[in-house]
Amino acid sequence: MKINLKNINHTYDVEVLHELNLTLENYKSIAIIGVSGSGKSTLIRLMAGLETPSSGEININGHDVKEEDYKKKIGFVFQNHNLFPHLTLKRNITLVLEKTRGMDPLLANETALKYLNLLHLGDQVDKLPKNVSGGQAQRASIARALSVNPDIIFLDEPTSSLDPILTHEVLSAVEELKGLGKDFIFVTHVMSFVRDFADYVIFMDQGEIIEQGLPEILDHPKHPAFKEFMKKVR
Amino acid sequence: MLAVLTVATFVLFVVLRQTSSFSFSSFIPYQDMISEAILNTIIVSVLSLFGSLIIGFIFYLFSISKMKYLNALTDVFTEIIYGTPLLVLIVITAFVIGPAFGTYNRNALGFTALVIYMAPYMKNVYKSAFSSISRDQYMTMDLFGFTPFQRYRYIIIPQVIRILMPPMMNNFSMIIKGSALLNVLSFNELYYAIRVAQSQTFAFVPGYILMWLLYLAITIPLSQVTKYVERTWSL
Repeated sequence: MKINLKNINHTYDVEVLHELNLTLENYKSIAIIGVSGSGKSTLIRLMAGLETPSSGEININGHDVKEEDYKKKIGFVFQNHNLFPHLTLKRNITLVLEKTRGMDPLLANETALKYLNLLHLGDQVDKLPKNVSGGQAQRASIARALSVNPDIIFLDEPTSSLDPILTHEVLSAVEELKGLGKDFIFVTHVMSFVRDFADYVIFMDQGEIIEQGLPEILDHPKHPAFKEFMKKVR
Repeated sequence: MLAVLTVATFVLFVVLRQTSSFSFSSFIPYQDMISEAILNTIIVSVLSLFGSLIIGFIFYLFSISKMKYLNALTDVFTEIIYGTPLLVLIVITAFVIGPAFGTYNRNALGFTALVIYMAPYMKNVYKSAFSSISRDQYMTMDLFGFTPFQRYRYIIIPQVIRILMPPMMNNFSMIIKGSALLNVLSFNELYYAIRVAQSQTFAFVPGYILMWLLYLAITIPLSQVTKYVERTWSL
């Protein structure tokens, strides 16, 4: 995938991103890491076009992320599963496919089952999100993101609200998706997952990109903040 | 179960300690009037519920409007209603506000007062129901490209209905009890009918006991339905 960030600044009540510039090409799986409050989630949301930066330009795979068409080419998995709570896991997917992609209900049903099975949820399809575990709900959310056949899948700390066992369950499921040929941009605190899954790593601190490179940088951090971070998460 | 037994024991104790016996038999000749009054109580309460749902929704829209005038209007209205006893509102509506608009139909004005009284409470019910849909859910809808109509039709309204049902049922219970105050307009609802019967039978205390039991006969099933809805519809 091609990523081009130009002079990105973003402010809520305080400045959360400061003059970010980034040009990347030909990486399939990019990890964004850093301490809480470093701006990772904001950056991934801006890259997905969910929020608009206060200033600057974001171009991904040749699309300005503000374009409506761009959103049709991406999938996004939030920190919390964000499934619609009144719909079953399957209906969470078929609703999206039927109403926003104009898919025939039978085909939508087939597609939903295909992706739920892929995420090992074949026996949970008719359950409401409240009746499955956090890990299962998060996997259903990943199935929903995949069902629209996106080019890029964004994962914003998909395991932050899960215990270690469920975290492993979700991340293993994501690793199995590598063969689908999709591109991934993800935020996580699980370094083993970064090592196994990422082919490029970006470390952020206080709204800035401090270090970036191949996953080997995790073993040889240079910046003091990155060193400190790696000491804590190792 | 233990709680029900405790209350039943209390009631039994109170009944056994009475020095005079209570009989409802003197109310039998008035059963048609009382039956009609029960029906009227239910009808006026249901109509008031729907009326307050509509007016409450309008005020909810006002409260989230970008027009400051509408926000302020809602605040002023809410403050006035919160500070006004229902009995006062019914009397003012029927004898002051209604006539000012050339309307003298007391039943209609009493019903209007009930609707107006409940509207701010319903507005709050809407407010909590809509605010329970998280920002991330809106982001998800945005991400997948749901149109505004689709968002409301398939995602927001079905959730809001589930969330607002229990508090709405509680408000309905308030309306039923509040409708007793329509007796000041001589509207033949339950309280009024029993009072009329009391004035002719002089069975003062049994009348109130009967009234109490009849209100409970309406409100307890309603609260059970509310609990059932809470259990089965919770998100």
